[in-house]
Amino acid sequence: MASPCSITIDTRNEGAAQHAADLAVTEVRRIEHKYSRYQPDSIVSRINRDAVRAAVAVDEETAGLLDFAERLWQLSGGCFDISSGVLRRAWDFRSQQIPTAEVLRAALAGVGWSKLSWDGASIRFGEEGMEIDFGGIGKEYAADRAAHLLRQHGVENALVNLGGDIHALGPRGRDDGLIDPWTIAIRHPRKAEESVAHLPLHRGGLATSGDYERYFENDGRRYCHILDPRNGLPVTHWQSVSIVSANAVSAGALSTIAMLKADDALAWLEAQGASYLAVKHDGAVFSKGAPPSTGLTQPGTA
Amino acid sequence: MAAIDSTVGSVLVASLLLPGLTMVSGALRAESAPEQGLIALKVAHYSDGQPGWERVTVRSPQLYALVPLAGDWSLEGAWVGDSVSGATPRMHTFESGATPSMEDYRKVADVKVTRYFSRAAISAGLTYSTEHDYTSRALGLEARLSSDDNNTTWSLGYGTARDLIDNTFSGGGVADQTKRTDEWMLGLTQVVTPNDIVQINLTRSLGRGYFNDPYKDFENRPDFRNTSIALFRWNHHLESLDTSVRSSYRAYADSFGVRSHTLGLELVKSFDRWTFTPGLRAYTQSAADFYFDPVVDASGAPSPVLTRRFANRLTDKHSADQRLAAFGAVTAGIKVAYAIDPQTQVDFKVENYRQRASLTWGSGGSPYLEPFSAISMQFGVARKF
Repeated sequence: MASPCSITIDTRNEGAAQHAADLAVTEVRRIEHKYSRYQPDSIVSRINRDAVRAAVAVDEETAGLLDFAERLWQLSGGCFDISSGVLRRAWDFRSQQIPTAEVLRAALAGVGWSKLSWDGASIRFGEEGMEIDFGGIGKEYAADRAAHLLRQHGVENALVNLGGDIHALGPRGRDDGLIDPWTIAIRHPRKAEESVAHLPLHRGGLATSGDYERYFENDGRRYCHILDPRNGLPVTHWQSVSIVSANAVSAGALSTIAMLKADDALAWLEAQGASYLAVKHDGAVFSKGAPPSTGLTQPGTA
Repeated sequence: MAAIDSTVGSVLVASLLLPGLTMVSGALRAESAPEQGLIALKVAHYSDGQPGWERVTVRSPQLYALVPLAGDWSLEGAWVGDSVSGATPRMHTFESGATPSMEDYRKVADVKVTRYFSRAAISAGLTYSTEHDYTSRALGLEARLSSDDNNTTWSLGYGTARDLIDNTFSGGGVADQTKRTDEWMLGLTQVVTPNDIVQINLTRSLGRGYFNDPYKDFENRPDFRNTSIALFRWNHHLESLDTSVRSSYRAYADSFGVRSHTLGLELVKSFDRWTFTPGLRAYTQSAADFYFDPVVDASGAPSPVLTRRFANRLTDKHSADQRLAAFGAVTAGIKVAYAIDPQTQVDFKVENYRQRASLTWGSGGSPYLEPFSAISMQFGVARKF
């Protein structure tokens, strides 16, 4: 994980909580290793190396994630596509160059969930130059799995925070019997030291997608790391979208898809019944169910 | 690609199919009250004594339960049954054969209801306590309010108690005496750093009525007792040692003229499922204005006869109760807790209390006070359900 990660537990039994936390951290590391693009023996690396030649069979956990990725591709109208990672090759953030149309077209040739075949047990690429990665799902999934493990070991008041992908397992525990939500500060997309809102979270997931995590600016325009698989271009409509949901993985998916849906995002989020806080390209804030001023938040949707 | 309806919650529903997540998802409503109940049973044994005499032994089972009700409410109840047996000194200390042994059974029950809001809680509680010669009814109200960032909590409390003292049942001379106390409390708890919490509590209590100890001779106390208390607490977590240090200071002053100070220090350290909490407390108090010392005879020893003659001639407020004398005390103890599983904890606590005039801070412990010591042990088990 390239970002700061933490597990916070409010407890009266420090020993039991430490034990549960250790198990949760082990699980996060397991998932990170299993789905890492950089580990040559990970399932993702194996798929990216071999699936163009022959179908690669996957285990049950990976199958579940691929099913989820496919469903997101369907529900988002093709915006959310785990095969869009190859666009990275076209957008070099270090050199800060805007790719030519040729380079972009070449990269786009390998992008598209419809160009691979996934039958629920094995995956096969239909084109050369294709790759998948769980960039928009993996960290959120790890946060949810960590929370699941904590709960299995009796923890009830905890916050798992993997670089901003958050799962709150029950509210804060306090000595005096008062029950409090965790307070999550949403980073201001343009002013790193400030928050755009404080969201109270009793239980559930919170994730934020933003155009400020990796980007370069050229001629007054910002080019961020969230790339639209349909045209290969970075999104520009939203500075950031934060979602509160019943778990981190759905919060992360909703926030990423909202960034990609541009001005259709709010209508789509409303149709999903999601609670959101979105900051538009001009700084205007839109929210539903997650007001900037603190108050009771309803995590999740009916 | 087939047209898929983006129906409400369809992304969420899809996520629930991921391996091992179904148990965690599903929170659809913000809950603020405790979600689990707690039941705890403690048995305590307390005995105190002075050199040569074993005085009072108390064995008490205590039952405490916390039940969450319907989302935003909780109900707590506690029941304590104390069995008190032993002798009680009539004056400064024992006179041979002066007091019959006393056996008594004390029951205390209290109920508290709390309503939780997102940043606040309001509680109301009733306490009822009865011994054969003493009945007390008390009502308490408390409100707590936290700031938006949860780092600051204010609390405000009010309590009122009515006591009835009557020991004519056992041949005593006190009939139908009443006492009424009203108390106000203001508190502030502040998170200062991620490793530090401080708390300040101010209490003012006004009492009117019968304050004499019905089993002591030569008691003539004022019919009112007003007290002021300031309590400061600081909890600090020492990261390097993974230990919590809890320190406290309490200042007390009342209209009887008693002034006291208490300094406390506790360490909390966990190893795996064990938690050790050693603690130390130092206490000092000044004598009440109307407390009188024993009178000594020619050899310099306290003489009950001379003291009685002296006390007989006193017309103003007076008392020989050594709990109103000037003395100091030190309490040392340790609590050991073991978490059998995350829902269940057993704990054992032992404390040794030693009180003597020589432990008074500064000079000025009351003369001829018998040293006093007590050992209390408590064993408890608590289970969340």
